[in-house]
Amino acid sequence: MFKITILYTILAVIGTIFVAFIVGTFIPGIERKYIQARIQQRVGPPVTSIGIMAPIKFAFKENVEINSPAPGIYKALPVVCFIVVLVIMLLLIPKVYVAGVLTSVIAIIGLLKVEEICYVLMGALSKSIMSSSLPFPDIVKGGLHLDSERSFIEDISSNRAFRLIAFGSFPLYLALIIPVIKVKSIYLSDIVAYQVAHGPILFSAAGIVAAIVFFIGYMILLNEYPFAILKTKADVIEGPYMEYASKYRGLVYLTRGFLMFVLGAIFSVLFLGMPPYLLSWKILVNIAVALIFPIIMGILSAFSPVFTNKQFYPVVIGTSLLGILAIVLTLL
Amino acid sequence: MNEENKSKQEIIDTEVALGTVHPAALEPYRVRLFVEDEIVKDAEITIGVNHRGIERIMEGLPVEKANALTEKICGICSNAHIWNSVLTAEKGLEIEIPERASYIRVIMEELERLHSHLLYLGHGSEVLAHETFSMRAFSIRETVMELLRMIGGNRVQYGVSIIGGVRPRCELDDSRIRKIAEGMDLIEKNVANFADRFVSDPIVMNRITGVGQISAKDAKKLEVTGPSLRATGVHQDLRETMKEYEPFDFNVITLNDGDVKDNILMRVLEIPESISIIRQAIKNLPKGSIVDRSWEMKDTGIIHSHIEVPRGTLYHSYALEEGRVRGTIIRTPSMSNIGAMQLACIGNHVTDAQLCIVQCDPCFTCTDRAIEIINK
Repeated sequence: MFKITILYTILAVIGTIFVAFIVGTFIPGIERKYIQARIQQRVGPPVTSIGIMAPIKFAFKENVEINSPAPGIYKALPVVCFIVVLVIMLLLIPKVYVAGVLTSVIAIIGLLKVEEICYVLMGALSKSIMSSSLPFPDIVKGGLHLDSERSFIEDISSNRAFRLIAFGSFPLYLALIIPVIKVKSIYLSDIVAYQVAHGPILFSAAGIVAAIVFFIGYMILLNEYPFAILKTKADVIEGPYMEYASKYRGLVYLTRGFLMFVLGAIFSVLFLGMPPYLLSWKILVNIAVALIFPIIMGILSAFSPVFTNKQFYPVVIGTSLLGILAIVLTLL
Repeated sequence: MNEENKSKQEIIDTEVALGTVHPAALEPYRVRLFVEDEIVKDAEITIGVNHRGIERIMEGLPVEKANALTEKICGICSNAHIWNSVLTAEKGLEIEIPERASYIRVIMEELERLHSHLLYLGHGSEVLAHETFSMRAFSIRETVMELLRMIGGNRVQYGVSIIGGVRPRCELDDSRIRKIAEGMDLIEKNVANFADRFVSDPIVMNRITGVGQISAKDAKKLEVTGPSLRATGVHQDLRETMKEYEPFDFNVITLNDGDVKDNILMRVLEIPESISIIRQAIKNLPKGSIVDRSWEMKDTGIIHSHIEVPRGTLYHSYALEEGRVRGTIIRTPSMSNIGAMQLACIGNHVTDAQLCIVQCDPCFTCTDRAIEIINK
């Protein structure tokens, strides 16, 4: 009997991750097709094209030789990103809460930081053709500043990713510690139990402010317009992802959709007390949150130009101040 | 390396090159940005990858064929090129075209201005990464494109102007005139809505105000032309001196800041003026023939013609010898504006560099042609 229960639990955990993954593959398409395209009065792409069909197509494409000082590491980074997201999803499932400190807010923050560090490394290890030298027009013709050190546009992305780690994603992490302060525990199990007993943290003044801060942090982490400084089309184009082709690019797309679901699930756990689990109706709340966030994000990004430092810094500072306000409200 | 470059070299140590292929650029060109902490300290634009040698191909061609070839120079201001090339021949051959033909040419040119300015708004918004404004600008532009297709039979190469007037298939009958009038009403309404939304969007206005600023003094020094010059406060529009535009009342718009905001507003404000000219033209369209075929070919010396096109001053010149073209020189507005594009980048964030270039409405494919540098 005990063995059957264990088996059911394992199957339910795997099923939860599978459902999250499948829903995640639809999210980018829903955002593009039903939000942005509708706002822009165009038909838009098929809903499955971005999250499902594109990765399948890329899986069968021939890979290209990557111009990188460490091609092996560069190609491994999307896999690392995917595993990080997968592990975060796993840790959010209630049946895994027995894993102790691994199922804490601190562990989730650490794993999200690993995701961000991957962007820095991707940018640093990519040397695409997009900014390679043209000896004749640049040097022979008598161009300006002939001895300047040439920087690849991915290097700019890498620097920006580093800035995101330093302070850009600060609002998200401020929002993540609000439940910790409220419950006085870093463990997800305690945070969920507290909300089962006292109601969702979201329905408090501090919770509402923290949710706003979380949402802006969510957009920054996902590099969506107007915060898409890592992959601004006007300069760095695809930024850290520039050189990924075939199955690696497919994995990048899958990871993005999965991360959208997982961030929604983090919100559900920390602010609603409803962890994702296949055998509970609460997974529907997780799916709803995972869909609502991209819908709002799609609306905001459809009406915003990309920010430069001039706009990005004040927004991050303002959002961080809101986060501090949420902490103060929590402490009151 | 000259002394000036040496002194700059001491403080600028990082170069970021964008292009020749870059998704924010409509055409292949290369810009080298010399940056410090993502702020552009110097910029250099290199063109040349689109060179097709059109002047060389035109050499010795019958003038009618050469005129048709000029339309291939640009996919946006194709009508302007063939019009100016035909005007060059008509000046040399002393041909007076029928008044109705002149009106139709003006209508085509102003429709082309509308399409060019709306393309500018769409592309500028795209570089800003504001997809919604970009899509709306392109959506408004569709009406103009359909009107151009109706008159010219094609959305890119219209072939309206011929020596002596306009091609008979481009005659404007009552049905076409009615469609143009309806189109103007629709564009006027849509552009007003677009402009209202654009200027009342605080994020967009904050993003573009003060970016890529060029003073009137610098603009004159760099011989900037067209709307980019007028956006700096300089009142200069060749249409005021062109006899084709004498029957029409219109205002020359000038703004003062010379930044991305004023360049975008300049195009927005010029659209109603073009609509006004088209309305006057269709209302007062003279009756009669649209082409005079009674002219005779003769040899001429070098003939010059300047006209105001959507991006500024377009210059064509050639001589005629036994009906064939000799010594063609074509100078497009973007050639004059490259200096301003480089200057506009300086002091701005690297993300804004493409925006600073786009604000001068470049058309490098038109501009790419051999030039002779004469050291005086």
